[in-house]
Amino acid sequence: MKMHLRTTTAGLALLALVAFALPARADDTLDRGVGSEWSSLDPHVNFDAAAAWILADAYEGLVNFDSKGALIPGAAESWDMSEDGKTYTFHLRAGLKWSNGDPLVAQDFVNGMLRTLNPETASEKGYYFYSSVQVKGAAGLANGETTDVSTLGVTAPDERTVVIEMVAPAPHMLQLMSSFQMAPLHGPSVAAHGSAAFIDPALVVSNGAYVIREVVPQSHVLLEKNANYWDAAKVSIPFVKYHVTEDVNTELLRYKAGEIDVTYDIPLAQMESLKTEMPGEVLTFPSTYLIYYSFNLSLPPFDNVDLRRALSLAIDREVLEGKIVKGGAIPTYSYGGGFDPAYLGPQIVEASMTQAEREALARELYAKAGFGPDNPLKLSVASTVAEINVKRANGIALMWKKVLGVETEVNAQERKAWLDLFYTDDWGVFADNLVGDFAGPETFLSYMRPSAEPGYDWVKPEYDTAMDVAAAIPDLPKRYEALAAAEKILLDDYIFAPIAIEPYRHLVKPNVKGFEPSVAGYHNSQFITLE
Amino acid sequence: MIPFVAKRLWNGFLTLAALATLTFFVMRLAPGGPFSRNRKISPEVQANIEAAFHLDEPVYQQFARYIWGILRGDLGPSTRFRDYSVNDLIAAGLPTSLTIGFWAILVAALVGIALGLAGALRRNGWTDYAAGAVGVIGIAIPIFIIGPLMQAYFSVYLGWLPVGGWNDGWRSLILPVLVLALPNIAYISRLTRSSTIEVLRENHVRTARAKGIGPARVLLGHAMTGALLPVIAYLGPASAALITGSILIETVFALPGIGRFFVDAALNRDYPLVMGITLVYGGFLIIFNIMTDLVRGWLDPRIRHEG
Repeated sequence: MKMHLRTTTAGLALLALVAFALPARADDTLDRGVGSEWSSLDPHVNFDAAAAWILADAYEGLVNFDSKGALIPGAAESWDMSEDGKTYTFHLRAGLKWSNGDPLVAQDFVNGMLRTLNPETASEKGYYFYSSVQVKGAAGLANGETTDVSTLGVTAPDERTVVIEMVAPAPHMLQLMSSFQMAPLHGPSVAAHGSAAFIDPALVVSNGAYVIREVVPQSHVLLEKNANYWDAAKVSIPFVKYHVTEDVNTELLRYKAGEIDVTYDIPLAQMESLKTEMPGEVLTFPSTYLIYYSFNLSLPPFDNVDLRRALSLAIDREVLEGKIVKGGAIPTYSYGGGFDPAYLGPQIVEASMTQAEREALARELYAKAGFGPDNPLKLSVASTVAEINVKRANGIALMWKKVLGVETEVNAQERKAWLDLFYTDDWGVFADNLVGDFAGPETFLSYMRPSAEPGYDWVKPEYDTAMDVAAAIPDLPKRYEALAAAEKILLDDYIFAPIAIEPYRHLVKPNVKGFEPSVAGYHNSQFITLE
Repeated sequence: MIPFVAKRLWNGFLTLAALATLTFFVMRLAPGGPFSRNRKISPEVQANIEAAFHLDEPVYQQFARYIWGILRGDLGPSTRFRDYSVNDLIAAGLPTSLTIGFWAILVAALVGIALGLAGALRRNGWTDYAAGAVGVIGIAIPIFIIGPLMQAYFSVYLGWLPVGGWNDGWRSLILPVLVLALPNIAYISRLTRSSTIEVLRENHVRTARAKGIGPARVLLGHAMTGALLPVIAYLGPASAALITGSILIETVFALPGIGRFFVDAALNRDYPLVMGITLVYGGFLIIFNIMTDLVRGWLDPRIRHEG
């Protein structure tokens, strides 16, 4: 009987061992977290930065970005700019192929842009071509004014040449020529299968370093190396699996358990302890996500520039981000600076003051605007319900209270409601943000043009003029000087208080090499290796 | 019996129709729309996008279009997950939710009833206390605490099971099923215990005992059916809730079920997806309630249905 019992126990233990033994971890797979699920794997529709990682692996634009985010040749091996800076001619590599072996030709890139602009595609990305840069004819096609594709200033004179004509010179146009904006279109598969041509592994035809092998909504996308990619010999990792990691705490546990090699984010509350627990694995670096607090210019008393400046000065950005929010955001006083080191921006007085000086000036301006202890300003800050945003809003409210005696109500709304709240007058201050289209000042500065973007109720013809001056200059250093002059006009009106640049936060396993700081957020798997 | 079921199904259909109508209009009262964005695109393009999803039509026309779609079995396109129709997404998420829910309700019913019976028969014995303790833990500690605790211990520390995801077959099932079952084990065992104790005091059980029938046969033959009636009444709606997915469980364990689609859809104002999942939930609830009533009628002659 005793013997029998022992055998049973041993058997059960063996069974448990077999059952629970970890399956051999596939070390030929890079497991990456992507946060919430992508809204689309259609490269001409997708607008999410995280899904752009997947698509940058699967599709290649005319240019590409290396592991540090520097612009490098992609499907085009070289390009020339016309003297006036308005026309770019891209020369494709010889022998480019789609993943199914079809030849990849210049017209496929033209068709890609046409599809993005076509109202029937219902893509939000057309604005890259009619607003961020002004490609000839793009606006008319996007607005539905015309369906005549020959009106577009993008042509393929031969199989290896793409010519893009713009209305005005735009040296940053190259930043918009990677797969996120400029993925080519494999016409036959999309014509035959519709949107299934982007998610059904049996039907997807792509031209990037990887091809899509498996798509499970709310779970993962599995990519496999594309043998037909022109640089396939240099692609080191055979498989890449992008996991939907909606819950940041679960993602951390999955990282600790070895299920994920690179996380999408890090829980704010754990940042400090993780830095000591796993030094070298916590990676943070600036992004193009700018946080700023906009004032409601059409709602008195926020039409008073002294008051707006006082509110901006009273915020101790170092304490706010370093001691209260603790997310690693980088305090800032500028709007277009901090992304491209070549852009020096205007002189900003606030930036060189001490916080005590700022607060003294804030009190002075606050009194000048007619407010004081007996007559405190009451305002409402519209924020989203995200923990980090509420924390920041409460921190700012506290500083306004302490320095000026302002009584602030934080109105935290669900994201979609917050977006619509902007168009109402139910806020004095809007906890605003903007994600730049590329790591440079112009994406931010053109967004604020009174003529381009309705919504801020800012009337300033001088700013539009200054931006027009900059927009006519093809030479980048000179253009940056003109942009700095424009930014000075913008900042001097204090229509918003710049707060901080939000960083990317990732945990990266020590054996993952080549996942490096990249301000524009590009991390193509083709440049990553596993050791 | 058949007229009863037909009548209940008809009522269920009316309930679903009311649910669909109400959800359709209430959802549109929430501020924000599916294509609310940081102010970026031109009004013409915004209008084009909305037109592509018929959001530019008057609401009554959208409603008519929607109802016509349902009648053809087409729940419409998803605005949040642009590559998929709502039918695709439900087909993708429902099997995961059903699998987790099925095992969770099975484990909860078996363990819960066993613990409850044991507790009732040996009142104030150690099994009773143990069952009571499980009950308190199961009810008092929320999923978002116990889930991560179990993940930290079984997955990160011991490395036995995956933390999350749906990549490891049955091994991906164990933790979510356990965590989902736990509070239900607690409820079911408490229900079973108290109703068993009550039934054991009743006259027909006392008579059976007086006739000299052994305790096991008394329990199984005479007391059990009565004792399980409240449990079955609980199991109906609980099954519907578990099987159609627990949003928290799916989030904590990163499972691709329809619960997460539901939350994502609501937050992103994906009207067709919210509608579709609401109807699925409603349908399951109605079917499980009918089944519960049938089982109860079969077990208890007093509530047997006419016809």
